[in-house]
Amino acid sequence: MSNFDAIVIGGGINGLVAATVLARRGKSVCLFEQNDTLGGMAGLSDGPGTPALAHLVYNISPKVALEIGSDIDAWPFSAPALPTVALAESGRHVIVRDGRATFADGTPHPDADAFQALNERIARYGDILRAIAEAPPPGMPKHAGYGAALRAVRRLGRMGMGLRAMGKAETRRFMQVLLSNVYDFALDDLDEGPLAGLLAADAVRGAAAGPRSPGTVFNLIYRMGHGGHVRVPEGGVGAVLTHFATAARDAGCRMQTARAVARILTTDDCVTGVEIADGEIAHAPLVLASPGAGTTLSLTGTDHFDIETARRVRKIRARGTAAKINFELSRPFAPENALGPPGPARYVVAPSAAYVERAFNPSKYGAMSENPVIEAVPQSVSGGRDWLSCIVQYAPSDLAQGWTDAARARLLRHTTDTLTAVVPGFSEQVTGSQITTPDQIEARTGAPGGHWHQAEMSLDQVLSVRPANMIGHYAFGPKGLFLCGASTHPGGDIMGLSGCNAALCALGDPA
Amino acid sequence: MSIMTDPKLGLMDGPVHDRLERLSCSRRWYDWAGYAAPATLETLENEYFALRNQAALLDISPMKKYRITGPASEAMLNRLVTRDVRKIAVGRVSYVVWCDEEGMLIDDGTLFRLAQDEWLLCCQEPMLTWLCDAVWGFDARIEDDSDRLAGLALQGPTSFALLEAAGLDVATLRPFDCARIAPDLLVSRTGFTGDLGYELWTDWPEAAALWDRLWDAGWDLGLRGIGYDAVNIARIEAGFITAGVDFQPVHATERLHRGRTPFELGLSRLVDFDKGHFNGRRALWKVRNSPRSLLLRVDVEGFKPAQDALVYHGRRREVGHITSGVWSPTAKRNIALAHVETPWAITGKTNLFADIYVLEEGQWNRRMARLTPQTGAFFKPPRARLTPPARH
Repeated sequence: MSNFDAIVIGGGINGLVAATVLARRGKSVCLFEQNDTLGGMAGLSDGPGTPALAHLVYNISPKVALEIGSDIDAWPFSAPALPTVALAESGRHVIVRDGRATFADGTPHPDADAFQALNERIARYGDILRAIAEAPPPGMPKHAGYGAALRAVRRLGRMGMGLRAMGKAETRRFMQVLLSNVYDFALDDLDEGPLAGLLAADAVRGAAAGPRSPGTVFNLIYRMGHGGHVRVPEGGVGAVLTHFATAARDAGCRMQTARAVARILTTDDCVTGVEIADGEIAHAPLVLASPGAGTTLSLTGTDHFDIETARRVRKIRARGTAAKINFELSRPFAPENALGPPGPARYVVAPSAAYVERAFNPSKYGAMSENPVIEAVPQSVSGGRDWLSCIVQYAPSDLAQGWTDAARARLLRHTTDTLTAVVPGFSEQVTGSQITTPDQIEARTGAPGGHWHQAEMSLDQVLSVRPANMIGHYAFGPKGLFLCGASTHPGGDIMGLSGCNAALCALGDPA
Repeated sequence: MSIMTDPKLGLMDGPVHDRLERLSCSRRWYDWAGYAAPATLETLENEYFALRNQAALLDISPMKKYRITGPASEAMLNRLVTRDVRKIAVGRVSYVVWCDEEGMLIDDGTLFRLAQDEWLLCCQEPMLTWLCDAVWGFDARIEDDSDRLAGLALQGPTSFALLEAAGLDVATLRPFDCARIAPDLLVSRTGFTGDLGYELWTDWPEAAALWDRLWDAGWDLGLRGIGYDAVNIARIEAGFITAGVDFQPVHATERLHRGRTPFELGLSRLVDFDKGHFNGRRALWKVRNSPRSLLLRVDVEGFKPAQDALVYHGRRREVGHITSGVWSPTAKRNIALAHVETPWAITGKTNLFADIYVLEEGQWNRRMARLTPQTGAFFKPPRARLTPPARH
């Protein structure tokens, strides 16, 4: 077909950011996306106003905004933070607005101070970890150069200074909780109930872990890295991805949708380009692949990788546990006593930390939760119906009987029943639904296991061992091949940092 | 990957154990991969000289044998080993080594190409888990034939005549050829002695009958059953290396940096950078010109075997150690293989010494024996390569 300086596989957020970073540094870039639309997991839509998968934005990094030439303080990143409503069966829902918890009826919550202090502590820890979390992982290979090594040392130094500045007692506590589980962490300071449940649910969302799993505090800190505010920008999550796609196009990237890459080509252990499913060939000395490591390995050919690499890639844990359900409603979603003035909000069904753990239990044995953890965000479509977008956990990708239509119907019923238990009358409002289970997520996006981080964010798969040991620095096998998807450091949520870091590494200038 | 054997289980009998037991005067059995194998059957001297001057029969059934089949077996093996296996024709055997991702030797062995898509890999270390890892992603199959396929090594100048006497026609076999002489008998012109010799592979239950067939044919050709000790002298004379002695199979090491690259073991000729990717290629490419040490073949001053002695440069600086050292009765020289650190292995070759400790009737003495590095094998008789071989 033609020659480029770089080819990016996959038009999800990380692929788009990688392409933009490369193009803005003067490279000619071509991006191939197998679907008809750009945006990947976050951009898929099943109709106006109904995000097929992601429905909230958090953790967009200022670094990424800067790299794609956008302003973090402007649209679409500057939307106001949403309040969160932790739903309780008793009807005593708890509203968290700017870190401050009150009961829905306006009365003060007894744990409000403790909850706020806990959130502030998490934010402080997040500040310390952020420098490391956002840069390429520590221990970059020697060829990255002295500048990169110096910057890495400086980042570690800054983390050390941050720890010192916290004082001895707080540092000790930080070290104590960092690898710990969110269940103990939350219940140390809070009474069991919707607030503890909210922290637990936020820590394990999208993960194959329960609140009692080790390392879940780390996940929580990670997610709260930018204050933990959740937002829905004007136009929805899809609009954010459109913005990223526009940035890539403005930077001069060539975008090719509905064109699946069939093979990554190599000669003499160097990448030379890709072959498209229709047989056409595009040449480039750099290929950045945003599908998971396993897919990238298969596209290139197992024989181009060391046996150990193939084994590690095979063992990457990526078990999706979250399903997506969109409910069409006959009237706007408004739980009784949930909010004073009507307005956008995020609703979480996790009445206690123990509830979240119990919801997790069946997934360990290939079964779905009968009482799932649900994150629901009402979607108001102008002139249309009202929709409720829900992330439902746990719906494991390796369901014992497989994801049949009957299994999907069962999950839909459990979800409706669970929502009806906290929002009486909910089931009567439902006029339609769309359900996407992890197997379908995998089929639509190529994310292994339908896992939205492409690889479980657990302590053995983060930083320089993400997605696996020895392949934690974006470079992957033959010269010129790089991983740039969420399976690389720092990972998922709509951040775009993996793509950004990978592009900078590919350019030989890891920041 | 060392095998833990439950001591209560004791050692297993090999396929020709009762034959060996009848011959064993010295009763020096040792553990070879869980099997009772003879170190010697009678005396080392008699066995060694039978091996070099007549014919010797050694049971090598405890070797690990893996059969690799399938349309992608060639591609799978080419990624596994450092040589270009595409160059191995059907009916040929090749000495190969394979490395981990850091370029450190996992093991060495012989690779038989039995058919276009059928191979046999013989080696010392258990390799099944590694091969199962290696085959992932390839349309190929691994079968562990270690306990199904028996092997007898017939080595020595009269071995060809002996096979002929036994009614086995191997006249056309060149060195490193293999052929199915009978439906259940594979013969390869290979061995671990550097001399004329053959290895015969058959089903486990058939091994005793094969042993008897050779034994009956060899009564006037000086055939003797031997143990490993005699082979060990012969293989040092031939300059062959042994896993666990001259190099540490990297999967069996627990300490860091105990592995060795093929370059460090003098096996550069086995590494083919032009064939495409193979395991450890990227690591090996980086270190191809910077070995940390070299395995040297050395001539040791005096006659005391230098096994395990430390090696010094200029009698003062410790720069390595002897891994294998024997008095070679055939070369009439004191020979050894030595790991010597660079740069001394390259620039200081003329000033190397082995610090040999000898126990002489209750008294320890030290000798600083000068080492003279050699190129090539210590013993490489032309008869080993002649086709058809002489009958002697």
